[in-house]
Amino acid sequence: MRYGMAIDLKRCIGCYGCQLSCKAEHGTPPGVFFARVVKREFGTFPNTQLVYLPTLCFHCTNAPCVDVCPTGASHYREGGVVDITKDDCVGCRACMQACPYGARYFNETQTGYFPGQGLTPYEQKKYAAQNVGIVLKCNFCIDRVQAGLEPACVANCAARARTFGDLDDPHSEVSQLVRLRGGEQLQPELGTRPNVYYLPPA
Amino acid sequence: MTTDQWIASTCGLCYGTCSIRAHVVDDVLVKIEGNPESAIGRGRLCGKGVAGIMTLYDPNRVNVPLRRTNPVKGKGVDPGWREISWDEALDEVTARLTKVHDDDPRKLFIQRTTTNTAIRAPMMMFAAAFGTPNSWAAGGGLHCGNGAHLIGGLYHASWSLVPDFKHCRLAIYFGASKGHGAGHVSCTNMQDAADARARGMRLVVVDPMANFASAKANEWVPIRPGTDAALALAMVDVILNDLGVWDAEYLAQKTNAPYLIGPDGCYVRDAETGKPLVWDAARGHAVRYDTPDGAALALEGAYDVAGVRARPAFVLLREHVRQFSPEWAERISTVPAATIRRLAREFATEAMVGSTIVLDGKRLPYRPVAAIYFRGSQGHKNSVYNCFAIELLNQVVGAADVVGGALGFNPVCYGHPETGKPWYEPKSGPDGLMITGTWVAPHLPYPISDPKHPSTMSLGGLFPLGMFGPTMASSDQEELWTKFGLPYRPEVMLNYGANSLLSVGNSDTVAETLARIPFIVSFDITLTEFSEFADLVLPDASYLEALDSRPNVPFIFNHPAGLGAWSWPVRQPVVPPAGQRRSAAEVLIALVDRLGIREEFNAVANTHLKLDGPHRLEFGTPYRHEEICDRELKSHFGAERGLAWFKEHGVISWPKRVEEVYWRAFLDVRVPVYWEFLIGLNRKAKPIANAAGLDWDDAWYDPLPRWMPCPSHEVQDGAFDLWGFYYRDTLHTNSFTNENPWLDEASRLDPFSYTIALNAATGRRKGLRDGQPVTLESPHGRRVRGRVHLTETVHPECVGIGGCAGHWAKTLPIARGKGVMFNDLLEVDWAHGSPVNLNLDTCVKLRIAP
Amino acid sequence: MARSATSDRLLADLGATFRPQRQWVEGRGIWLIVGHFLSGVGAGTWLFSLWLGYRPGLGLALAAVALSGLAHLAFLGRGARFWKMYRARTSWIARGFVGMTLFLPGAALYVLRPGGALGGLGLALATAGAVVLIVYKGNVYAASKGVPFWNSPVLPILYATYAIRGGLALLLVALPLGGRGLDAHGVGFLELWVAVSAAVMLGFYLGVMRSTNLAAQRSVAELVRGRAAPAFYLGTVGVGLVVPILVGAAGFAGPLSQVVLAAVGATSLAGDFFAKYAIAKAGVYIPLMPAGRGPAAPAA
Repeated sequence: MRYGMAIDLKRCIGCYGCQLSCKAEHGTPPGVFFARVVKREFGTFPNTQLVYLPTLCFHCTNAPCVDVCPTGASHYREGGVVDITKDDCVGCRACMQACPYGARYFNETQTGYFPGQGLTPYEQKKYAAQNVGIVLKCNFCIDRVQAGLEPACVANCAARARTFGDLDDPHSEVSQLVRLRGGEQLQPELGTRPNVYYLPPA
Repeated sequence: MTTDQWIASTCGLCYGTCSIRAHVVDDVLVKIEGNPESAIGRGRLCGKGVAGIMTLYDPNRVNVPLRRTNPVKGKGVDPGWREISWDEALDEVTARLTKVHDDDPRKLFIQRTTTNTAIRAPMMMFAAAFGTPNSWAAGGGLHCGNGAHLIGGLYHASWSLVPDFKHCRLAIYFGASKGHGAGHVSCTNMQDAADARARGMRLVVVDPMANFASAKANEWVPIRPGTDAALALAMVDVILNDLGVWDAEYLAQKTNAPYLIGPDGCYVRDAETGKPLVWDAARGHAVRYDTPDGAALALEGAYDVAGVRARPAFVLLREHVRQFSPEWAERISTVPAATIRRLAREFATEAMVGSTIVLDGKRLPYRPVAAIYFRGSQGHKNSVYNCFAIELLNQVVGAADVVGGALGFNPVCYGHPETGKPWYEPKSGPDGLMITGTWVAPHLPYPISDPKHPSTMSLGGLFPLGMFGPTMASSDQEELWTKFGLPYRPEVMLNYGANSLLSVGNSDTVAETLARIPFIVSFDITLTEFSEFADLVLPDASYLEALDSRPNVPFIFNHPAGLGAWSWPVRQPVVPPAGQRRSAAEVLIALVDRLGIREEFNAVANTHLKLDGPHRLEFGTPYRHEEICDRELKSHFGAERGLAWFKEHGVISWPKRVEEVYWRAFLDVRVPVYWEFLIGLNRKAKPIANAAGLDWDDAWYDPLPRWMPCPSHEVQDGAFDLWGFYYRDTLHTNSFTNENPWLDEASRLDPFSYTIALNAATGRRKGLRDGQPVTLESPHGRRVRGRVHLTETVHPECVGIGGCAGHWAKTLPIARGKGVMFNDLLEVDWAHGSPVNLNLDTCVKLRIAP
Repeated sequence: MARSATSDRLLADLGATFRPQRQWVEGRGIWLIVGHFLSGVGAGTWLFSLWLGYRPGLGLALAAVALSGLAHLAFLGRGARFWKMYRARTSWIARGFVGMTLFLPGAALYVLRPGGALGGLGLALATAGAVVLIVYKGNVYAASKGVPFWNSPVLPILYATYAIRGGLALLLVALPLGGRGLDAHGVGFLELWVAVSAAVMLGFYLGVMRSTNLAAQRSVAELVRGRAAPAFYLGTVGVGLVVPILVGAAGFAGPLSQVVLAAVGATSLAGDFFAKYAIAKAGVYIPLMPAGRGPAAPAA
């Protein structure tokens, strides 16, 4: 079992549904995005293209973040998911410098989305003191996955650009998409072997 | 004890109203997801929808009724709010409204937002019961749909149109983003459009900016704003005159193309019945258009009929478009003539005129092309001809509501299998032209009512092609009202959630009009810039705290088009309203009894909500909002499926039929490729206008479309070298969502959301660098400030500004100072409105202020 | 509102093609630079003090490394959990922590009780720890695959060179405090030699980085004409290299006073600090790009 994702750049329309459903699912504080959308433009007028690149943690098979973690807080768990044991993180942020994909966020303080106005009832419910002073990241919504659900960003994608599944199973939808559509990893030359693949926009 | 429940309801962060399920733990809303049991969104939401938690829990929400103490009203002036009780507030509203009602009910001015549609039915019913015709959607219509929606209704019996995503092979969007952004049916369309891309549908997008639909298109065609008609007319010319392609059968049977036109431009009519005549080539003489078995209706030739030389309308159309060569269109639109010819050829070829397909055992026309118009092409003074010209592309090849073509949003519904409701279908009206089966706005797109001396604030009576008019908030409203002798002035305004300071045009003009209204009551969830002009603010329940039995009704407004399922969902409170918040619908109905207009209200409700049998309201009986909702649901789905059933199940769904989706082949209705009615309209309207001293230009009333310049195209001063336009951002709905901190954060992350997009080469030529603050100035001296984003995705002559931001109210701490208020550059007056449908021009000539 | 300014910058960074590294240099991140600086200087001082038999230097070294530990604690988000950093199999930070764990008690033991078996053990532990501290730091940066500017085998050598020079420099500063038994001129000469080496290393490093990937090029640009340029020119190059080299070269003409040499030491130390600061500040992350594409946005 190796969990992975295929993100179809042809289907994505950059609506931010993944970024915000992830935020709602995890109650991430301001400035922290386990999933987000990056917009990049290429070419020159009029032969130009705006590419919407949805990102998240790529759950690399050779994760540099795990290698550099001094406490073992960053670790591989079942299905190859890269996760953080919150009680073991010292907040040294070496993993953030090691991650070539910007998937990790240091959570400095427990501030809500309405500065100076306290925490909303939602934030009071979702925020946890244990998240302060440590690094936070996507864990493929492993709790949802173990409950038989898709990760929040996948379940909510209106354009159905994200497909989640088992990359070890050649018959899974995600494996087939990667194979048939020529899925590519980001910066494969780094040897990180990401388990998130991008299907080409054209 | 922990409580944990999922409650099915409906989103309210835009008029897309997708079906949601809300996760509530210990009475706290912790997650909003799409409801997979509903066709509306199919279990998926956009970023706004999932962010609704932050709107619900915004600490800046209003929790108690507030009364102004400072009599001075103005932008940035503190009203000096004092908290009062609901009783006190309603007593004052009742007293004010009673006085107006006794005096002249038309003095009540009703304004609502387009963001939250739940109030539309209660407000319309209240207005009708009260007796005021003065109601509008605060800039809605002026910007987005006087043209597109009414022309969508005229041709497709629907509010909007989309390509048949399942079968279309080539779609050309003219300033539209269907399936790639916000708006009607946004989430379902996103999925259907992505499927279409994956399937290989070719998408060409005509737009000054390459984001949203154009970013996903196979081809982006950059165009100068407001010139879509020039491009479309040249394409029609190439198709009809160079390529000689048209769908003769469709044109003969489904349009007025064969109607004989006399030398005066009008129909040649049957002396006996007054019905338009057509030439029957088989019989060799003219017959009434509705003659049974009229199989050989001529589209070409010239005939002597009833003593005049008459030609089919189609001949006039072909001759008319001859003047619009691709080279002419290139000069106006900047789209190269070669591109225009190629697009026309592709469209005509891909239409496969004459082909058929079998669906569900029925042989149907197959025309897999669609020309789609919306806000971009319609948001201009010339919106009527822009939309008309683009629609002709669909009409000449017969690609309207057939398999693969341009589809209206559900013009036909034969109802739930058990009850046969809701039921509606278009029917044939005067001169055989189509009347919609159901509609959203106060008046139908067709038949066109006779123009009359205007007696409403919008002057609407004189302009039956429009919905709303700029005079609701224009700089010259008093002048125009005086010209037409309007016998009253607005005395009380009832506002629901609209922030017209931001949503109409430049805020100074709107502020002046609001300051003249003696008493303004506003239902709001937060204090906004509009509140600076309100006398009384009533704390509204948000969409997550309110009940609505018809969040997606009517289906022509916002229900997914194409085959699939019908869904009728409910909206219900997922948490109880906090503080003293009350749902505006409930408050309005409480006012009905306080004002003594219950009989009128119940009568209107019976008709408007199509209440039936035992579920009809008895005239004298007071009903609460909840009871009316219950009766509406039971009227449609049977006594066992009332509100209680819907609260438990959330939504009722049933499959669509081929006859409902591809209805054009099944119904005997025609649509106009020649707007003969404009001639009569002009003849009647012009004297009324002239009598009032209003300038009148007949060119706007030609029965065939032409390109008419926007005011921005007529600016002579070369210093104003840029065209400014705004576009709808996927992250925001009007100005409302700017206060949501999750969406605000996403906007700050986005390169375009809060910036002024300027072509990189143009910017470099002007010595600008990315991120630099600039001031944009209009020829009228209106100014806005913002940061420039240099990009390759904008036409070199243009600046594109996202959404409707730029709030200044301290009561909106998240929204305040973010983004750019494009509308502040717009003039709101007669000169910038359409003299045929009152649409406001939303493109403006600009310069970077020194 | 400071809070919102921070979040504005954070979001601007996330939206930028080349996202600047701020965690290890700005805000509380400055303590990490201080910590890295002090541990390198301390370890270098320890080794040179042993070599030159200069006992006061050993105390200085211990103090510097101890302060470095405190600076690290000030930097960590959860400093109270510092003892968990022992996963040295793959983590250079953990190796550095091991180095510090060896050095601090060992050095304390040797400084307090120089003689005997216990003293010998202390000496061994501290010296081993000092070597680790000199080696690990550059490797912490070099292991950062997200920041191509750092992700180079040249950086550990550069940082080790700086640590050694820092050790000499601290000794030079200590001279006027009573440096009996120390050949000031010899130390000064060594310092010059290492400063020249550091300059060569730095030039070599930047040269290599300019010819690597886009993000590293961008970092070089940040260093020579961007966010890190003031610290680089004034601190790293001016105060840190030019001044010591010029003054040191002047030493060939005639003996320099201890005070001048101390000043050279101080400027070298400042240069060492600013080298770390500027290199950290110039770090940018690999841009997120669809495969096979380069950024279109101008790199200004």
